[in-house]
Amino acid sequence: MDLSCEDVWREISNYIDNDLDPHQRAALGAHLGQCRNCAALLEGTRNVIRLYQDERLLALPAGFTKRLHRKLRAEIQGPPGSAFGWAVSLAAACVLGAVFLFANLHQFAQPELKSAHSQPAARWPAGPVAVSDDGKIFHVANCPFLHGKWKLVATREAIQKGYSPCVRCMREYLKVGRGPEAWEPGVEFAEEVESDGAQ
Amino acid sequence: MKRPMLVNVRRRSSDETPPAIRTEQDEQALVERIQAGEKELFYALIQPHERRVYVAALAILQNEADAEEVAQDTFLKALTHLGQFRWQAKFSTWLIQIAVNEARMRKRKNHPEVMGPLEEHTEEEGYYTPREFADWREIPSEALERKEIRNALVQALSSLAQVYREVFVLRDVHEFSIAETAAALGISVGAVKTRLLRARLMLRDLLAPGLDGTWTSRLSFQKGNKPWT
Repeated sequence: MDLSCEDVWREISNYIDNDLDPHQRAALGAHLGQCRNCAALLEGTRNVIRLYQDERLLALPAGFTKRLHRKLRAEIQGPPGSAFGWAVSLAAACVLGAVFLFANLHQFAQPELKSAHSQPAARWPAGPVAVSDDGKIFHVANCPFLHGKWKLVATREAIQKGYSPCVRCMREYLKVGRGPEAWEPGVEFAEEVESDGAQ
Repeated sequence: MKRPMLVNVRRRSSDETPPAIRTEQDEQALVERIQAGEKELFYALIQPHERRVYVAALAILQNEADAEEVAQDTFLKALTHLGQFRWQAKFSTWLIQIAVNEARMRKRKNHPEVMGPLEEHTEEEGYYTPREFADWREIPSEALERKEIRNALVQALSSLAQVYREVFVLRDVHEFSIAETAAALGISVGAVKTRLLRARLMLRDLLAPGLDGTWTSRLSFQKGNKPWT
């Protein structure tokens, strides 16, 4: 089979790759043996391929592997001390939480009332309240039910110590009551507060 | 298909440590151990593939910094998804597929104006007509010690359209088979053959002024002369 130069050019790449059937390959070989131009084309193309396969060409930039490994390290090793670190952090958080809870337990717990017959406060009065040393009830300072030696303390402190609201002057702060509209604490005894005073 | 002409032509510089010879079975065993949790072995697994991933990315992006970042992202992605790798392709083909996709995405992001339908437009309908028929002597490998020759080869490759460059790099630089090249690039075997023929002949024409033995004349592509247009 006679091939033209154009036929050879079309198949020169497949000839180099040995990707032709034996008949075609033999025909191309015969042409290449006679045609100087096509033979030069073949050798030149092979030469080009050979040059590009040299690894000095298109080499990796200096430091490539080092930078690559640095980037991969976090993924391969995980964050520094990851598993152990997470466990330690979790344990520390638990211990701190337990300490905090224990230290503040009294704030969350319901205080024990000094009198079993009293009702605990549903909400707290804003200002200080009056308590007597031997009493179980806290009052407004001019409450007629307040007897003996008394002193003003913060409401929080009174409740934490087990005092409960007076059913007369602190009615609105009790869980069960007639509501603030029925009685305004402190108004009717204002004069007595001024004359009596805290000791 | 085996290419006897191209065996034993690769050479390394003297200060480069050659990677250990590794069979596909060795590689498979490495992958299995990494999948089982020995992640430290990943460095050894990828070591022979570092250059080819970088060069594949470079063939698409033509920017060394971008190519290096894409190569890093490729290996990171390979590590993350190694558990899903099932040997439907060779490990090297799988890696190059990731690299090609990453590089194309980055190119699309960096240069949206050059991507799109035009990129797929090629001159594959007509055959390429060679222009240079001068006899070439074989260029000794020592020639690559000369920087201007290395630059000439790199510039010639850079001047090819991306569709030719990526086929040439995978097939002739990395010695992938035609089928592996097609799989890695997501194109048909026929397209690989057509593009490869044109890439080889274009490079030959581009380099002819130097490869005819002189390397003294200014290379045609450096003047903006593209023989295939």
